[in-house]
Amino acid sequence: MAGSQNIGEESDNPVGINVTAMVDVIFCLCLFFMCSFQFKQLEGKIESWLPKGAAAAAASADQNVLEEIRIVMSYDGKSGATVRRVGNTAPAGSDGELMKRVLSLSADYEKLGKKDFPVLLEAARDVAWKDVVHVMDLLKQAKLERIEFAGGAKPAPKSS
Amino acid sequence: MAKKELKTSSEVAPNLIPMVDIMFLLLLFFMLGADMGHRELEKVSLPLAKSIKEDKEVPGQRIDRLTINIYHRYESEIHCEAFSKLEVCRNDAHWRIGVKGHDYNQQEKLIKVLEEDSADYRDPSMGTLSKRKVMVRADASSPYGYVEDVMHACAAVGIYMIECGAARPVEG
Repeated sequence: MAGSQNIGEESDNPVGINVTAMVDVIFCLCLFFMCSFQFKQLEGKIESWLPKGAAAAAASADQNVLEEIRIVMSYDGKSGATVRRVGNTAPAGSDGELMKRVLSLSADYEKLGKKDFPVLLEAARDVAWKDVVHVMDLLKQAKLERIEFAGGAKPAPKSS
Repeated sequence: MAKKELKTSSEVAPNLIPMVDIMFLLLLFFMLGADMGHRELEKVSLPLAKSIKEDKEVPGQRIDRLTINIYHRYESEIHCEAFSKLEVCRNDAHWRIGVKGHDYNQQEKLIKVLEEDSADYRDPSMGTLSKRKVMVRADASSPYGYVEDVMHACAAVGIYMIECGAARPVEG
């Protein structure tokens, strides 16, 4: 009796398809995509503009003027650490100390009613990029949005 | 009285259809999740920053910017002790500056490619400046000098809008 048959029984589907080969292929494909799968890291950006004029780039830390907020970063080969100072001051020992100096200078700007002032970053070539980004991150967290890079002389062309 | 005949064996046929369904779903998930079309992005370990702005792509609109990668030569090509320890590698021969899958370690070549790329974004009212945006994706272990080279090249062709690629640290 047809009514007593279950759904999916053999009599419903007289032509049998061998799915084994298909399962094999799907397994292989699945394995390939599983092995090549990479979870994407959440990427973002930190905006920073290059100085439009030549003045900011040409000035060095020695010619620093009081109003200018310039963070100078250099690499100390002996200790293997990055040395950070604000203008011509002594090296800052910690993030807190660095930001304290930066914020005291930025407070002077704010007292004068200036809100759109740049913070110049001047880093030596051998300073780790992650250290530069860390300083940029600290500045952004302190709501100092206008970060500009000040470079020294143009690098010599590379042969390779 | 007729004797009942006992079955000694029965065929066990597993139903493969639900398994095939699940396999298809898994396959679809991995196929859609596979990241194969990003030739522009080299494999770099980005520096971490809490204050990054997320790159929100508007549907149907590409993010209009040029990506410059500063990446270390792959482990399969060269073994670097410092890089494998996640320390800063200061060996000049180990670093590459890549744009759209090509390497431009020579400053003149980089300037040339940036010049060509930024030509359509020039605004006569801004003089020699270009409105082209550039994203610098530099590895966390790279020295700043390479980023500086890229910035010098950008400045040489009037590009001033630079975005620095960073990743958000995992909390906890």
